[in-house]
Amino acid sequence: MSQVEKKVGLLRRSSSSKKPLKEKVVLMYDEIFAKEDPSTHNPRFWDELFLMKVNLEYLESKLESVDGEEVQRIQDNINSLFHHCVQALGEEHQIKVVNALQTLCALFRGVHQKNKSASGFDIINMLMGFDKAELRMKDLMESLDSLLCGDGSESLKSLCLKLLLCLVTVTDNISQNTILEYVMINSIFEAILQILSDVSSRGQHGYDAVVLLALLVNYRKYESVNPYIVKLSIVDDEPTLDGMGMVVHHALTEYNRQYKAKEEENQGGFFSTLTTMVGNMFIADADEKLSVQTNEAILLALYEAVHLNRNFITVLAQSHPEIDMGVTPVTPIPTTPTTPLGTTPPSLDAMNNPELPLDPNLQTSNLLITFLKYASIVMQDTKDEHRLNSARLCLIILTCIAEDQYADAFLHDDNMNFRVNLHKMPMRHRKKGVDKNIPCRPLVCAVLDLMVEFIVTHMMKDFPMDLYMRCIQIIHKLICYQKKCRIRLHYTWRELWSALINLLKFLLSNETTLLAKHNIFHLALLVVNLFNMFITYGDTFLPTSNSYDELYYEVVRMHQVFDNLYCMVLRVSTNTGQWKEPASKVTHSLVNVRAIINHFNPKIESYAAVNHISQLSEEQVLEVVRTNYDTLTLKLQDGLDQFERYSEQPKEAAFFKELVRSISLNVRKNVSLNTMSQDVLLKEFSTIS
Amino acid sequence: MGDAELELSPSHPEEPEPLQHSPPSPTPSPSPSISITSSPSLSLPSTPSSGPHHPSQRRSPSPSEGPGASSPALDVISEGTGELTLVIDPEMAKRACQEVLLKVKQQQAVEEGSEENDNSTTTTTTEQGLPNGDLGGHGASIGGVGVKGGVVKSPGIREEDDPSSAKNARRRQRHNPSKQSWLLRLFESKLFDVSMAISYLHNSKEPGVQAYIGNRLFSFRHDDVDFYLPQLLNMYVHMDEDVGDAIKPYVVHRCRQSISFSLQCAWLLGAYSSDMHISTQRHSRGTKLRKLILSDELKPAGARARRDPPTLSLFCPSASATNPLHGGVAAGGLIGEHSLSPSKRTHQRSKSDATVSVSLSSNLKRTASNPKVESNQEEPVRLTPQREFIKSLMGIGKRLATLPTKEQKTQRLISELSLLNHKLPARVWLPTAPFDHHVVRVPHSQAVVLNSKDKAPYLIYVEVLECENFETSNVPARIPETRIRSTRSVENLPDCGMTAEQRAGSFSVVPNYDNDDEAWSVDDMGELQVELPDVHTNSCDNISQFSVDSITSLESKEPVFIAAGDIRRRLSEQLAHTPTTFKRDPEDPSAVALKEPWQEKVRRIREGSPYGHLPCWRLLSVIVKCGDDLRQELLAYQVLQQLQCVWEMERVPLWIKPYKILVLSSDSGMIEPVVNAVSIHQVKKHSQLSLLDYFLQEHGSPTTEAFLSAQRNFVQSCAGYSLICYLLQVKDRHNGNILLDAEGHIIHIDFGFILSSSPKNLGFETSAFKLTSEFVDVMGGQDRDMFNYYKMLMLQGLIAARKHMDKVIQIVEIMQQGSHLPCFHGSGTIRGLKERFHMSLTEEQLQVLVEQMVEGSMRSITTKLYDGFQYFTNGIM
Repeated sequence: MSQVEKKVGLLRRSSSSKKPLKEKVVLMYDEIFAKEDPSTHNPRFWDELFLMKVNLEYLESKLESVDGEEVQRIQDNINSLFHHCVQALGEEHQIKVVNALQTLCALFRGVHQKNKSASGFDIINMLMGFDKAELRMKDLMESLDSLLCGDGSESLKSLCLKLLLCLVTVTDNISQNTILEYVMINSIFEAILQILSDVSSRGQHGYDAVVLLALLVNYRKYESVNPYIVKLSIVDDEPTLDGMGMVVHHALTEYNRQYKAKEEENQGGFFSTLTTMVGNMFIADADEKLSVQTNEAILLALYEAVHLNRNFITVLAQSHPEIDMGVTPVTPIPTTPTTPLGTTPPSLDAMNNPELPLDPNLQTSNLLITFLKYASIVMQDTKDEHRLNSARLCLIILTCIAEDQYADAFLHDDNMNFRVNLHKMPMRHRKKGVDKNIPCRPLVCAVLDLMVEFIVTHMMKDFPMDLYMRCIQIIHKLICYQKKCRIRLHYTWRELWSALINLLKFLLSNETTLLAKHNIFHLALLVVNLFNMFITYGDTFLPTSNSYDELYYEVVRMHQVFDNLYCMVLRVSTNTGQWKEPASKVTHSLVNVRAIINHFNPKIESYAAVNHISQLSEEQVLEVVRTNYDTLTLKLQDGLDQFERYSEQPKEAAFFKELVRSISLNVRKNVSLNTMSQDVLLKEFSTIS
Repeated sequence: MGDAELELSPSHPEEPEPLQHSPPSPTPSPSPSISITSSPSLSLPSTPSSGPHHPSQRRSPSPSEGPGASSPALDVISEGTGELTLVIDPEMAKRACQEVLLKVKQQQAVEEGSEENDNSTTTTTTEQGLPNGDLGGHGASIGGVGVKGGVVKSPGIREEDDPSSAKNARRRQRHNPSKQSWLLRLFESKLFDVSMAISYLHNSKEPGVQAYIGNRLFSFRHDDVDFYLPQLLNMYVHMDEDVGDAIKPYVVHRCRQSISFSLQCAWLLGAYSSDMHISTQRHSRGTKLRKLILSDELKPAGARARRDPPTLSLFCPSASATNPLHGGVAAGGLIGEHSLSPSKRTHQRSKSDATVSVSLSSNLKRTASNPKVESNQEEPVRLTPQREFIKSLMGIGKRLATLPTKEQKTQRLISELSLLNHKLPARVWLPTAPFDHHVVRVPHSQAVVLNSKDKAPYLIYVEVLECENFETSNVPARIPETRIRSTRSVENLPDCGMTAEQRAGSFSVVPNYDNDDEAWSVDDMGELQVELPDVHTNSCDNISQFSVDSITSLESKEPVFIAAGDIRRRLSEQLAHTPTTFKRDPEDPSAVALKEPWQEKVRRIREGSPYGHLPCWRLLSVIVKCGDDLRQELLAYQVLQQLQCVWEMERVPLWIKPYKILVLSSDSGMIEPVVNAVSIHQVKKHSQLSLLDYFLQEHGSPTTEAFLSAQRNFVQSCAGYSLICYLLQVKDRHNGNILLDAEGHIIHIDFGFILSSSPKNLGFETSAFKLTSEFVDVMGGQDRDMFNYYKMLMLQGLIAARKHMDKVIQIVEIMQQGSHLPCFHGSGTIRGLKERFHMSLTEEQLQVLVEQMVEGSMRSITTKLYDGFQYFTNGIM
């Protein structure tokens, strides 16, 4: 008692010397951090506390400053504070609820800040006390759930979500956040889904809800049964899934829009500086400026939805009108207000909302298209860590999509044609934006375009091997589907072939540098097998008989590359070493390509000789090809149309752990409870209460 | 039951008392026609469930009032229209009724079970009220009969003893029964059919006759009357009160029975009222009836009856017939399992998902894993789901019209439809379909925008599940689009899998849904690879079969060799084998969709549909037109239908294809598309061939059976449509408006310019019908057999049509009433039409006429001119 008095006295003195007026709430915090139960003096202490405006900084710093021994001393009071916070959540008085939510947030953060090294159990003990923890957390989660689902104020809901985000991200590694065990037991999954299914709440809280869900799904993903994974995987309520899709769609669209805006700014700069600057100098410059912060959290959410939930695939193809900036070159970009996309997404309800915005410039879009555009931007520059991660995640998502039967069905649906304006990296040897007039094609063409674009633009010293592998695998999966379902896609396959051949060329010319870091034979094998797919099964999916001839033409024309590749792999496979095995696989896979080259090359030469032509035209070569098929025998290779299905574990586990960690850090940094100023809340609640 | 009544009937007039002892009908009355078996049953108080009356009697302030107490002078209350009931001679009515009664029983009249009388004590009583159930005035008249005792009358020909009604008195004086006896004989004759009934209803000035026919309508088959529904309703809207009064009981009665009839009436009433001046329209009878129907107060009487206190007297007239409160109670407790009220079984989906009114927001809807809270108190909606469905289809059309390009329209259409899918399955249906069904899915990516300059008609395909009765059968459960549960999903937690179970539980429609689900769960690409190659492959030895083999033969290590030439050959063979399709053209998206053979399309869509495995799965298609007046189309449809019947009856092998029209309002509607048909314009544009060459390409050389039968079809349809075009003066006959089906028939579409109207008054198309030299070429050229056959068919057809001219004229004539349609422009429309039947000519003269018309049409340069005109203005070849 005397100690308390002394302390109080001290504080008073110090405060009177420095600041004559100290906030009441601070004084009350101090009381909590004293040893005594603050309610012994003032029975209405807790009631009063929650009427005070929370001083987050003070509370947090106070918690941080508590050292080891003191913890023991004040644990009861902190437990009590926690308990009363939870109780206050049930109060009718909304101000109390708000303050309790913020206090809780400060508690979680402060305690973790302090005890970075401490085990999760210590933290739980300190906050709630072991024996009460289960009960307290149950009450807390139930209160949050009812707040989120109730008809209460939107700002309250927002605060609830912020608190949850705060709780989920207090540790760097989400799986070490032991408190989340209680969030697993007392699921708020339903509350999240409800937010997503309702149009208005989705607009306001959708983003937080989706990020929260994505993070929760990643809690101890690989170690235990995570009920959020289970539940997410079986959601089949379309409005909800759609809502999730809308949130992701909106976030990605926003990113695309920002990027576009920046790019245009630069474009303006380009024209102004054109007179003084050389084009390529500018390009390097522009790259820097164009980087907009990627949004990995939302991408992770998209991944989890696509990967875990079968039904979400339909959402990808769910079209809704979007203001497309690319397609409207005539009208100078979005003069149309973008508001309908924002707060209230063009509702999914044709019936409930018969008046969709009627703008002739509205281009129908869907999540997949937006995602492809986003991916095309993200993939442009994979130099920094975040973008590399985003690009990788984009490719993983595409892998999942390419493996899904239903997704393939609508990707290849002949009746669903879209113009997809992918962003293309400005490069020295090609002009940007030549093809503004992209034809309306099935969506799979856009995916293939994106892959081709990636292949062409990333042959660099710092070779993104892993991305290339994924890229080729995606193409392979799509072609497998086409072969199986006999879909003859009218796609200019030639672009793909030449991109692939160029890739092989690049691998060859950088053999030594690349071999130091990567198994290039694996990639080469995948590429050659793609050619084998075309050669052996071309009859099942090529659009015209001419295209088969063109394939041969391309192979023969670029025979040098294949010859060199063969020499290289033969050399490596005859040596002993770690690459012997993979190189010999490539040797075997080249058998048909070599057969074609060896068969047609002499024929073409003799044709040239007979007709006294030095340089054969394409048509003439094709003619030779056409007339000489019958004497060519190919070997049937096994398993060309087999592929390994994507599985997150164990291959990708490390990637996702790191990704989630970086997302956690990012979210923690950005979750600010202060975004909502007390004034707003007061204004809102003073009238209510 | 019929037997029982047969016994009873003779006794009706003399002694009403025995009726009290008449056996309670054990089963639901099989027929509404029985409802005509009226009788002044006095036994009412003992029949708690005598449903149909209740609309008028339920609210009776004095429920204990016995039959005897009911006064003939009871107020005449009608549904706001204030019409009085009609009076005709009781004697005659008596006789008439007897006969009708007898005949009806002989027919052992029919079909759709009337819903109400399963436990009524005296069927006859029950029935009588039925048609008049909510006509307060009629209710009063029943009372009158009751007092008189012994007078049996047809439900509508009823008597009004009310001396205070001066109007009635006047009418009675005017009325001369003896004059009508011959008429009555006709009416009683077997020859008297709906067509005649309609005709007399239209022409007779006698209220008695009209009232009689109004009652007589009950005895006809529903289908037969339905054909004349536009005529009936147009008369109701535009003719005098007497006709309206005669028709109304029937309409109301049918509305009670059927949701689709209700909606049909409401739509037509709206459409036919629209020509009135806005001020009169608002108070017109048609508008009022429409409002009544749409207010959804015309619920099946049976459902209401059950809630009535048993003490209510039938004879107590009540002002509450139209009391909106009644509607409010309707949802209350429904007792009795026989109730066919759809309200009882209204489905969650149909209620909450397809309607705006019952918005989801009102319920606390948590998630899929949380069952929706469905309030039982909610007023079940009878008409709303369907109305909302139609409304959203129209909304799509309106929005599409604002988009500038076909491509944008198509994309928008597809996206809007995919959203529509979320609301399905629901208790909605396509009114153009010939069978009962529920719409379960719209394969949105198959929908196409049709060619039209400023409007945006579009064609959608609709997957439906056939059912016994769409009003009462359960709405099918929703099957998720992806159909198969993810193999990736973890589903071992017992408390999480509730969605599927919950659904299956509450919907319980597809009995072996779970099995199906499993059967379908072969999805992985890996697994699919081992599946049999699809249809196209079975013809030739395929590489992919090799590959399957080669997996197994891996051990043998024997390399398999293939010839590059084979691969190449297969590729070109397979490309050649694919059926001729039109190339995709963003400016004409419908061409490809329409060219695809219907069966092929059905198969394809069925494969891709999560519902496709259900045996009752069907595919329908419909053209949604928004901003177009389809009333003329409907008229043309009726005429075509009538002529088709006539030709069939007269055994003339003319071929025409009337396609169903649904008029939704004066500027919107739906059309049943002709399947397997593309327009001649599309044929010529995409194939770049003459018509004859196209026939050769599609059907084979001129001597093959396929070609010959296609040619015969062409000739028969040409002859049919030539006559149609002549009789109806169908104009605007460019190649975009003439379809060619897969069997070689031509089908004329778009009857926007018929009778007195022609496009833009350019004076083109003066010939009787369109007969281009290309057509003649397909027939084999002039003076060849097929060409002569064509002329002969036309002659036969004209003779047959002439014989039944009245039936055709009548359809048109009635619709002219009050109509501002362009086809009735001018005064000579009907006269002109009559003249074109050439009643006065001999058959020889007719033959000459046909010759002349054919000659004239062939020589006519105006046809050519018109085609040229169309080419230059609309790009139609």
